[in-house]
Amino acid sequence: MVTASPPSPFWPAFGRGFRALLPLWLGMVPFGVAYAITARAAGLSVWETQLLSLTVFAGASQFAAAGLFGAGASGWGIVATTFLLNARHVLYGLSLARQVRLTRGERLVAAQFLTDEAYGVAVVSGPREPGGLSFGFLLGAELSLYAVWNAATLAGALAGAVLPDPAALGVGVVFPLAFLGLLVPVLTDRPAVAVALLSGLGAWGLSRVLPGGLVVLLAGVGGALLGAVLVTRRGGAGEGA
Amino acid sequence: MSIPVVILLMWAVTYPARLLGLSLGRLRLPPFWLAFLRFVPVSVFAALIVPDVLGSPEWPRRLVGCVVGGLLMWRTRNLALGILGGFGAYWVARGVGL
Repeated sequence: MVTASPPSPFWPAFGRGFRALLPLWLGMVPFGVAYAITARAAGLSVWETQLLSLTVFAGASQFAAAGLFGAGASGWGIVATTFLLNARHVLYGLSLARQVRLTRGERLVAAQFLTDEAYGVAVVSGPREPGGLSFGFLLGAELSLYAVWNAATLAGALAGAVLPDPAALGVGVVFPLAFLGLLVPVLTDRPAVAVALLSGLGAWGLSRVLPGGLVVLLAGVGGALLGAVLVTRRGGAGEGA
Repeated sequence: MSIPVVILLMWAVTYPARLLGLSLGRLRLPPFWLAFLRFVPVSVFAALIVPDVLGSPEWPRRLVGCVVGGLLMWRTRNLALGILGGFGAYWVARGVGL
């Protein structure tokens, strides 16, 4: 760790990124606890439950894996499901790399902690940062979630049996609300609204037949293609959706 | 396969996906693909939201919470207020038996 002798812009940006994710902790704590309880019920040890949060660090695929372990699925099936669920992270990296220049070392670090939520906040708040999105802000946002997710995992793995059921508290609605908070600021023109409506409804249709991560990947690519067609094929802003 | 081995393989398929996108940022892209990337957040967030609301067994309550939360965020641009207001509306909807 470098102790910054000249005043470095890294830490203030890191702090802003870290705090930008605080509203999401409300949903992340019960979600992390619920994951840990599910994983323990599926037969994972406390250490294995924690190892998933420390390494893979992807809520949806950790939940899916816990369910699959519990159902006695094959190891390769679990790995393949994880791959499908997390392939959408390629899109996040591509999109972020347009906004922030990272050194090779910074990319190696930033990649480990990249999630839906950190990506969303970075891509929406980044342009409002002084000097634009920086590695400090991105890493602060990423580690904010990493810290709370791993703390919640540990709490759930150790104390799961005596805690109330998070699902009964209705915390599931916090996640769509959080993503809504990220979506609203980027709905800046009519093509964006059209893309959001069609991607959302398309994803709803796809979600009846496909796993969640693949749905996001397909609807995400399809919606962005539609948006690119809308804005490059014509000049004005009107287009019946 | 032991559980720790499966976990390490899960990591081995997740980390490269995250690194790949970040590493391709210096590609020079034509306008169509720049527009594509501009719309990725819009389409991805929408694809994360709608199935999570309409596909849920308690979708009427979640819909109420998200409409109220979305309106609050639109008017105030405040994420925390939107989440708390939406969560409150969800509980009101749940309280009245929706």
